Amino acid sequence: MSVNAARLSRRSRAAWLKKRVAQTLFSTYGIGAYLFLYLPIVVLVLFSFNDSRSTAQWAGFTTRWYVEMANDRQIILSLWNSVFVAVVSTAISTVIGTLAAMAMERYRFSGKLMMDAVLYLPIIIPDIAMAIMLLIFFNLSGIGFKPWEVLFFGVRLKVPFSVIIGHVAFNISFVAVVVRARLAQMDMTLEEAAGDLYADPWRTFWRVTFPMMLPGILGGALMAFTLSLDDFVITFFTSGAGFNTLPVRVFSMIKKGVTPKINAVSTMMLLFSLLLVGISITLSKGGDSESSIDRAV
Amino acid sequence: MAYEYAVELRDVTKRFGPVVAVDDVTLSIQQGKFYSLLGPSGCGKTTTLRMIAGFEVPSEGEVVIGGEVQGHLPPYQRPVNTVFQNYALFPHMTVAQNIAFGLEMRKIPRGEIRRRVGEMLELVHLSGMEKRRPTQLSGGQQQRVALARALVNRPKVLLLDEPLGALDLKLRQAMQLELKALQEQVGITFIYVTHDQGEALTMSDKIAVMNQGRVLQLGSPEEIYENPVNRFVADFIGETNFIPVEIKGDGETPVVGIGAEAVRAVWAKDALPVGRSAVLSIRPEKIALRRPGAEEAGAGRACISGRVVNLMYLGTDTRYVVRIADDVEVVVRMQNVSSAAHFFRIGETVELTWDPQHGRVMDVV
Repeated sequence: MSVNAARLSRRSRAAWLKKRVAQTLFSTYGIGAYLFLYLPIVVLVLFSFNDSRSTAQWAGFTTRWYVEMANDRQIILSLWNSVFVAVVSTAISTVIGTLAAMAMERYRFSGKLMMDAVLYLPIIIPDIAMAIMLLIFFNLSGIGFKPWEVLFFGVRLKVPFSVIIGHVAFNISFVAVVVRARLAQMDMTLEEAAGDLYADPWRTFWRVTFPMMLPGILGGALMAFTLSLDDFVITFFTSGAGFNTLPVRVFSMIKKGVTPKINAVSTMMLLFSLLLVGISITLSKGGDSESSIDRAV
Repeated sequence: MAYEYAVELRDVTKRFGPVVAVDDVTLSIQQGKFYSLLGPSGCGKTTTLRMIAGFEVPSEGEVVIGGEVQGHLPPYQRPVNTVFQNYALFPHMTVAQNIAFGLEMRKIPRGEIRRRVGEMLELVHLSGMEKRRPTQLSGGQQQRVALARALVNRPKVLLLDEPLGALDLKLRQAMQLELKALQEQVGITFIYVTHDQGEALTMSDKIAVMNQGRVLQLGSPEEIYENPVNRFVADFIGETNFIPVEIKGDGETPVVGIGAEAVRAVWAKDALPVGRSAVLSIRPEKIALRRPGAEEAGAGRACISGRVVNLMYLGTDTRYVVRIADDVEVVVRMQNVSSAAHFFRIGETVELTWDPQHGRVMDVV
């Protein structure tokens, strides 16, 4: 008996040890992966507070780069440009993308398979290819890069149509994918039930289909907004001369040398993106427990 | 309301491409009754229901509701309401908003909507739950909301598509009784689709047994159970024995041969020609066992002999398997009314007797 028990406990101790070793290795690996992903961001944020023109050596804490950033008229203008392009292109692509998603999910028509592939194309092809395609298109079609003069929250902006069209072109796909994912998990019998309860197709859409789709639509719109704010390549190729969005502005600043001001701008953009992601997660949780955005992306 | 039939199907056929889902169905459904469409999955019962609701349009024939031909009328213009299999409650609305939906769409005044929704909540025992969302309710409660949402519109006909399928057994049985009581209370015609024969027998005034798109038999639960018209109906509802026989005589109570023996029986539907192979359908509880040479069976009872090969004691009754020919076994259920001394043993030779009225002769298929 006691011999058996001793042997058993030795075996169980070995098993315990094995488990501990495995756990330690796994958590080390996990921490390493997170460091790899987030250490550069931490450094970026840290050095935006560096009291020196250098971005390699720490010379004490300051917030002057943020002040400088706020006083740089070029940066502020490009920020307004970014927001304007994002708002307008999001609005347009949300409507078109939602309609496209409904067509793809709810109707049968000839050429649907082709349409499906074409709709996904902007997500798959490299940005640079899309950018060059658009550039050639605007040149050949004669649309050109004429600016559109607008007053946006009291700020006078000159935004080329081409940039907005370019952003709409890739945003439609993302909106369509997110909305379609939402539609696919929606129960079709809900619409039948509405019809059964005397709602004609118009009222069925507004009372049942649309409210159920809304989390998906908002999720898609937020994503389009974020992508539009973020975009560099397509904006760069479609903006013609003299038009800067924030990413394009940062790029041209880097050409003149990296200063902590760029870090400060990047940190602000990072914060804003985090805010948007936060909103989109809250929205998709509020709609119902499934997060359509997670599923689509 | 004066019209005798709530719903009539006239020569209705529905094809989906090459598939015939419903095949030339003619059915008249009386006002104020509880009808069931009973059949295995894919028999066309749900398609039939969907044609009445207006979700599908018949390929041929017509659907008549309250004397009016429906034609291509969309669902929202038909005086019927549906309880869906998965309830299809609107998840973004409260219980009260769900129930009020149909009334709102018909532009009933606010005050009346509130009153009728309140009445309905009471009828289905959900008072106090009006502010909840469907996801905060149990399956049984969701079921009641679905019922209330349909009934509040006072439809001419209520269509129910396997509404109890998602509930557990206990709840299902309770809801069966409740549904039946509710139907009697509101007096609305119910058309109930199910594949569960027990459910259909419990609740229905009339059952239409369907298979492969056709209505095989329409009748009260007793008629369907006691007098099935063919092998499918006999087999689908309850348990039965099919004994291969050969037709040896005609008339109303023909003589059929079982191996070397012959008994009297009745036709399930149409008379079959002499010499034809057929089957004799007898319910297990209609057969009595006795020891050979025991007291008289009673005049006119059919009688053949066999040997007990298996038995199972089931409490209220005992289930015997009796071999009457080399490859023919018959199941007999005898109620355990008398003491255990009367039990037959495995291997014992017995005589099986039954009233010839219970032996129904039908085609092999």
